[in-house]
Amino acid sequence: MPDASARTGRRLWPLLALPGTVWLLVLFVAPLYVVLAVLFGGVDPILRQPVPVWNPVRWDFSQFRYVLEHIVGPDGFFGPALVRTTVYVVVASAVCLLVAYPVAYYTARFAGRYRGLLLTLLIAPFWISYMMRMLAWVNLLQNDGLVNRVISLGGLLPAAHVNWLNGQPVTVVLGLVYGYVPYMVLPLFAGLDRIPGAVQEAARDLGAGRFETFRRVTWPMSRQAVVVSLLVTTLPMLGDYYTNDMLSASPQTSMVGNLINNSVLTPGQTGQAGAFVMLVLLVSVLPMLLYVRASRTGVEVES
Amino acid sequence: MPPAAGDPFGRRSVHAGPIGRRSLLKAMLAAGAAPALADLLAACGSSEPPAGAAGSAAPKIPSPTNPVRWPLSTKSPAIKSGLKPKPGSTLRVYNYADYLGPQVIKAFEKKYDVTVNVSTFNDEDEALTKIASGGLNLDLYFPSYDSIGKLVGADLVRPLNHDYIPNIEHVWPQFHDPWYDQGWRYTVPYTVYTTGIGWRADMIKDDIGAMSNPYDAFWDPKYAGNLAVLDDWHTLMSMVLLRNGITDINSTKKSDISLMHDQLMKMLRTTHPKVTITMYNDLPAGQYGLAQMWSGDVVNAQYYLPKGTSPDVLRYWFPEDGHGEVDNDLMVVLAQGSNPVAAHLFINYLLDPTVAAKNFGYIGYQPPQNSINPDELVADGYLPKNLKSATVLPHYFDVGYRLLQLPPSADQAWHQVWQEFKAGA
Repeated sequence: MPDASARTGRRLWPLLALPGTVWLLVLFVAPLYVVLAVLFGGVDPILRQPVPVWNPVRWDFSQFRYVLEHIVGPDGFFGPALVRTTVYVVVASAVCLLVAYPVAYYTARFAGRYRGLLLTLLIAPFWISYMMRMLAWVNLLQNDGLVNRVISLGGLLPAAHVNWLNGQPVTVVLGLVYGYVPYMVLPLFAGLDRIPGAVQEAARDLGAGRFETFRRVTWPMSRQAVVVSLLVTTLPMLGDYYTNDMLSASPQTSMVGNLINNSVLTPGQTGQAGAFVMLVLLVSVLPMLLYVRASRTGVEVES
Repeated sequence: MPPAAGDPFGRRSVHAGPIGRRSLLKAMLAAGAAPALADLLAACGSSEPPAGAAGSAAPKIPSPTNPVRWPLSTKSPAIKSGLKPKPGSTLRVYNYADYLGPQVIKAFEKKYDVTVNVSTFNDEDEALTKIASGGLNLDLYFPSYDSIGKLVGADLVRPLNHDYIPNIEHVWPQFHDPWYDQGWRYTVPYTVYTTGIGWRADMIKDDIGAMSNPYDAFWDPKYAGNLAVLDDWHTLMSMVLLRNGITDINSTKKSDISLMHDQLMKMLRTTHPKVTITMYNDLPAGQYGLAQMWSGDVVNAQYYLPKGTSPDVLRYWFPEDGHGEVDNDLMVVLAQGSNPVAAHLFINYLLDPTVAAKNFGYIGYQPPQNSINPDELVADGYLPKNLKSATVLPHYFDVGYRLLQLPPSADQAWHQVWQEFKAGA
C-alpha cells in the first residue's frame, strides 16, 4: 500500500507543480528576454526609443560595452554609484538584521499570548504603500519637521538642525532600513519559530550558558532563515531608486536603481538600463546559487 | 474674421522652405544613426534606403533665425470645418500635473457636454515614449517647441483647422506665425515662462539678485546643502553656459560641452545640490532656501507655504534686460486621438481671455494673452509685490535665449554629461 501511494505521489505532485512552474518560467524568462532584446537592440532615429531585436544573431553589443567601459578607469563614472550601492545595501541589510533578529526572536519565543497581536503589528506596515511611508518621512525630516524640532529641543539649539533631505547618505540608508525591515522580520520569525524549544533546553541542561546556547544552537539553526531574509531584503534594495528620489534627490547618493531609472527615461539610453539590470542580476543570482549549492552539500553530509 | 487654415495671417514666409518628411528622416538617419541601426531598419523591412545614401542635407531644426514650416501630414489630415463633438464623448488630455485649472475643465465639460480625462507625465521624454507607444488614444498634448520636430517627424500630430480656433487672435503678436511652426500648422501657444533663481529671504541672507553674477550662487560653498537645481538636462546644463557668458545655450562646441561637464561636477562636489522639479513644493516647505526655478513655479509656491509663513519671503531673479532663458509651452492635437473636434474646441476655449485668466490663477504660469497686461500683474493680484520679477514680458522673446532641439550627435554628447552628473561620479 505505501508503494501505491508513493507512486501516485510521484506523478501527482509534479503535475500539481506544473502550472506554477510554467507561470514562473513565463514570467521570468520572457521579460528577461525582452530586456536582452532591448539591451542588444537598436534605437529609432526620430524619437530615439528602443527598438528590440529578437534575433540574437543581429544583436548589437555597443550599449553593453559602453556601460562596462564606464565602470572603472578614468571614464568610469558609473563606478562610484555601483560602489555606493554596495555599501548602502550592505550597511542597510546589516542594520535590518540587527533590528529584526531580536524582534523575531522575541515574537517567536517569548511573546506568549501576545504573539498573534505582535505578528499582526509586524505585518501592519504592508497595509500602507511604500510610497506613503516614504512621504511620511519627508514630512518628519524636513528642516522644520518633527525630527529637527526634537533634536534642537524645540528650537533652543538651532545649530543642531540637520538638513536630512539634502543628499545625506545616512538618510538614504535609514530609509532603506525602515522600508525593508518588515520584509526581514517575517522569514526570520518563521525560521526561529521552527527551532524546537527542547533543543535549547537540552543545551542549557548540558551546561551551556545563555550566550553559548545562542552561539552554538540557536544561531546555527537559524542561519538558513537569516540568509533567506537577507536575500528577501537585499534584492529589492538593489533595484530601489524611489527611496533615494524621495529622501535625497541628490546625484551624490545615486544608486544602481537610479542609474536604471534614469537610463530608461532618457531617449537612446534604454539599452543601458538593460545592461545594469543584467549586472544586478549576475551579482545577486551568483551568491544565491552558491548558497543553494552549499546548503545542499550540507544536507548530504548530515544524512 | 476667422483666419484661413494653415496660414492664419496670410503672410508669406520668406525663410521657410518646405521640408519633406522623408528627407527629414533620411537626414536624421545620416546625421545620428549608427550603421547597425541602418541594418536594423533594413531588417525591419523599412523602405528607407541605407543611411549612406541620404546625402548631406542637415536635419532642419527650427530656431528664431531658421523658421520652419512643417509639412502637412498626409496620414492624419486636418479635420473638416463645422463639426461638433459627439455628446457625452471623452476628450483625453495629456499634461503635466497641476498644469490645468480644474474649474476650467469643469466649465468646458458643461459647455460642450464632453468628459475631459486628464493623464499626467513627469517629463517630455516620458511623454514622448508613451505617445509613441500609440495605445493611449490621447487627443491633446502640451509639449514645448523643442519636441515638435520629433512629433511631426514621427507623424504623431494632426494639423490644426484654424476655423475652430478664432481665439488665437488674443495671443501676443510675438507668437504670430512663430519660427518653430510657421503658419501655426500644428501648435498654439499655451504659457510663457522664464528660468531664473528663486530663494527665501528668511533662509538666504544675501540678495542673490544683486550679485554681480547670480548664477555663481550654485557654486558657492556658503549655500552647500541648502539649494536645488532643475532635474531637466537642457535647462540645468545651459545655466552653466549662461554663468560663463555663453549665450548659445544650444551649443554643439566640444569646448562648451566639456566646460559644462567640469562645472557641473564641481557643483556636485562643492554644493551638493538636490536635483528635482518640485521646487514649488520644497522651497515653501523649507527643504532648501535657494533654487534654480521656473517663474511659474515660484508664483505657485506662495500657495504651498505653511501657515504662518508670509509670501513676502519669496524672491525671484531673472535678468532684468531679458537676457536669460525664456520658453513657451504649446498645445497640439495628437493624431492617435479619437476626439479631435473636442480637442480643437478645448484649445480655443483655453485661448479665451476670461478662461485664460482663470487658468493662470490656478497654475501660476502666465498665458501670452493680450488682455493680461504684464505690467499690471501685481496690481491685478496675480503676483505679490516681491515676485514682480516673475512677470514674463513680451520683449523677453526678442532678446532671451531659447532651448532648441539639438542635432543628434550633440544631443548625445549633452546627455552623456547629464548621465555622468546624475550618476554622482
